[in-house]
Amino acid sequence: MRINPPDAYWKKEVSLFFGKRFALFIKMLYPLAIIGPVAASGIPPEFAAAIVGIVAIMAGTFGAGESLTNDINDGILVRFSLTPTSPYRIVGEILAVNAILDFIQLLPALAVVYLIHTPPLAWVLAATFAVFVTLVMANAIGILLANFTSSPADVLLYATIILFPLIYLSGFFRNQNPEGILAVLRDFVPFAYMNDALKEVFGVASGMSPAEVFILPAIICAVAAVAVCLTAPRLLSPRL
Amino acid sequence: MEGHPTLAAEDITRRYKSSGRGVSSVSLAVAPGEVVGLVGPNGSGKSTLLRVLSTAIKPDSGSFRVCGFDGIGEKRKVRARLGLMMDRPTHYSDLTGWANAYLFARSYGVEEEKVGNVLSELFEYFDLAEYMDERVKTYSYGMGKKLALIEALAHGPELLLLDEPSLGLDYTSQLAYQRKVREFSDTGASVLLASNQVDEVEALCDRVVFLHRGEVITEGTPEELVSSVGGIRRIVASLRNPVEYGKVSEVPGVERVATEGRELVVHCEERPNIVADVVGEIVRSGGDITNLAVERPNLSDVFVKLTGEALARED
Repeated sequence: MRINPPDAYWKKEVSLFFGKRFALFIKMLYPLAIIGPVAASGIPPEFAAAIVGIVAIMAGTFGAGESLTNDINDGILVRFSLTPTSPYRIVGEILAVNAILDFIQLLPALAVVYLIHTPPLAWVLAATFAVFVTLVMANAIGILLANFTSSPADVLLYATIILFPLIYLSGFFRNQNPEGILAVLRDFVPFAYMNDALKEVFGVASGMSPAEVFILPAIICAVAAVAVCLTAPRLLSPRL
Repeated sequence: MEGHPTLAAEDITRRYKSSGRGVSSVSLAVAPGEVVGLVGPNGSGKSTLLRVLSTAIKPDSGSFRVCGFDGIGEKRKVRARLGLMMDRPTHYSDLTGWANAYLFARSYGVEEEKVGNVLSELFEYFDLAEYMDERVKTYSYGMGKKLALIEALAHGPELLLLDEPSLGLDYTSQLAYQRKVREFSDTGASVLLASNQVDEVEALCDRVVFLHRGEVITEGTPEELVSSVGGIRRIVASLRNPVEYGKVSEVPGVERVATEGRELVVHCEERPNIVADVVGEIVRSGGDITNLAVERPNLSDVFVKLTGEALARED
């Protein structure tokens, strides 16, 4: 399959991702530079899991939202949306390809974590899947935010406003064992499943099974992905 | 679809809430093989109308059909038949010119086996072949416009919507673009172009639609429109020195006097001795004439007359 010249939106994204070598080097290096030392250090597993999780969430949300608003401001996305390509397909491709490219960036760092902590294979697979699902969700949030603003700076601000409560709910730091309504809400946040899976990887029992990590966040993310694709006509219309 | 216009727009209204500008009750049709020009002052609604017809924005009311397909309910079928060039060319700046054109051509459904030949021919035609492997961010504005033209033409659309297509093009490229548009329309495809380059519209268009403040104020062939301004003609005097031209505007038959750089442009009625009278008054006003041209009316005069009349009606 030929990527360059691109004949589809997702191939264009892949082409651009691999086309700029220095940027690619930095993109691949920065998760490794943050997560590698954390994995090798003796910090409590809860916090090590939280740091890996936050890197994934931030990479996904900020990446998609910022690049999307840039393309919207530039007018190129509106121009592309005026081709016969379905707008839902365009947004679906934006979501999928950005999540996969973010995942590729994180894979070396995750590999380092697995090499150092040697978790059971089931938890390696569950954590890897949970990170991917988190990236899909984070990118969906970024795309959703791009519906409401055409400023990349605003995307960062709004993302922070949305992500902090979700990170709190997921139990990354203080809210490790939520009860009542917080516990119910936590079950609907895919980041929580990633956090639990990463805790298992770093050696803390979470009370979650690998099967739950595969099934529940996948369903939540699928709903979020469909919902964000439904915003396509608004997202791809000119900002006047 | 034989016998039907390629584009038929009925009572299109689209007003921007923020500025109140836009278009009101615009109806127009473009026949197969016809080149229609949209002309009007800045803010007259040309770009808004093209945005509506390109399916980028919905009209507040009204409808339009492209090749028989409803522009509001069958957007994707309409988009497949359109070739678009927006007023501000935009591309993926980190991709090469070729990659940009390839992406658009394939997205419009040009088959993989054909796309190479089609694009090579257009890159050659618009003198971009040499630069096709360079990233678009290194392109000049004019090169970006040529690339946008290639993207608009590559899939052989049935209706070409062009917004200020020749703005920023060098003279040779303008001629090449005009020749390509003519070749294109000769194959039966239709063109609707918005432009403030009145001479280009006059040379290229079979019919011209004048917009003013969002409304169609007149339409017709360039010849019909030019003849509608009657005997008005233009005397253009190149002057060595600036003069106070108040007296020139008082010469009987003179309708309007304006300066364009070192030139004094006098719009006037056709009557015996008017050229001598105008020249005499310029000389009496202290003007040192270095060149003199008496021009027949053209679309510029129609433009000035129509916008002036429209403004007078508003007063």
